[in-house]
Amino acid sequence: MVIDRAPLLDRVFHALAHPARRSIIRRLAAGEQNLSELASPLKMSFPAASKHVRVLEGARLVRRRISGRQHMCRLEAEPLKEVTQWTEQFRGHWEARFQALDALLEEMQPQDAAVTNPSAPTPRRRSAPRIRRKTS
Amino acid sequence: MMTAGLQVSTPTDTTIRFTRVFRAPRHLVWNAMTKPDLVQRWMFCPPDWSWGKCEMDVRVGGKFRWEWNGPNGQTALSIWGEYREVQPHSRIVHTERMEMGPGAGGACGGATAADTGATPEPWELLAALELGEQNGSTVMTMTLTFASKAARDGALASGMEHGMEAGYAQLDAQLAQ
Repeated sequence: MVIDRAPLLDRVFHALAHPARRSIIRRLAAGEQNLSELASPLKMSFPAASKHVRVLEGARLVRRRISGRQHMCRLEAEPLKEVTQWTEQFRGHWEARFQALDALLEEMQPQDAAVTNPSAPTPRRRSAPRIRRKTS
Repeated sequence: MMTAGLQVSTPTDTTIRFTRVFRAPRHLVWNAMTKPDLVQRWMFCPPDWSWGKCEMDVRVGGKFRWEWNGPNGQTALSIWGEYREVQPHSRIVHTERMEMGPGAGGACGGATAADTGATPEPWELLAALELGEQNGSTVMTMTLTFASKAARDGALASGMEHGMEAGYAQLDAQLAQ
């Protein structure tokens, strides 16, 4: 079981990498549900849904308790918070880069306007030769 | 109306997509993203890192190499690849590999390979940059395609996802209640 030995963060990312499991998490955010309730909107068999829940359990995102014939699932938010903080930091890093790019673009715009403005002509470079010879 | 902030999504099992709007015509965005002297002015890494190399030969078959040095002066991160498609002002497709060097104390805003148990070997991805213009603004889409789902997941886990799906943020708000 390679997945089980992987660091928790990897297991959480793996768990979040599947749309069915994200759907389960979203619904569990509203409160505890049993496995059949979770499986039905996914158009999935009970065993298939159970498998996804097992992956979520492995990432400590979901806790399952068995009550009679019901498998009740509950969201455990703690590992998700860690991932959110961590990736938000990463998104923030790229967003900071793009904000630097915004500033650079703003700086470039007046220069660009001066170039394209006909009242401020700039010397043009000669373009390619007019006569083109066919090459064989 | 699209928001100006960076959006991140995972449209398929092997891709990560970033979308961002810039309030400038696209030929300027193109220049800022393809001319090394301009690229160095915005694509910074952690504050204590500095640019080592920034070489970009933007034409089909041309190569690029970006290198940052850590505080000890050694290479912290190298990213390099080759241009496969170049359509001026609208589209670039390039291959990309990255490698952390001895100068990296911590990765570029994320976890290091050692932190996550990911393999430190360089891996290759295909990056497709598209620029579209709408009313004087530029919509940038960058799609990273990995060789496999495992490679994509590995990249997510080792910090290549430069953000997260909008839905997670929504979920986080729900969880914070």
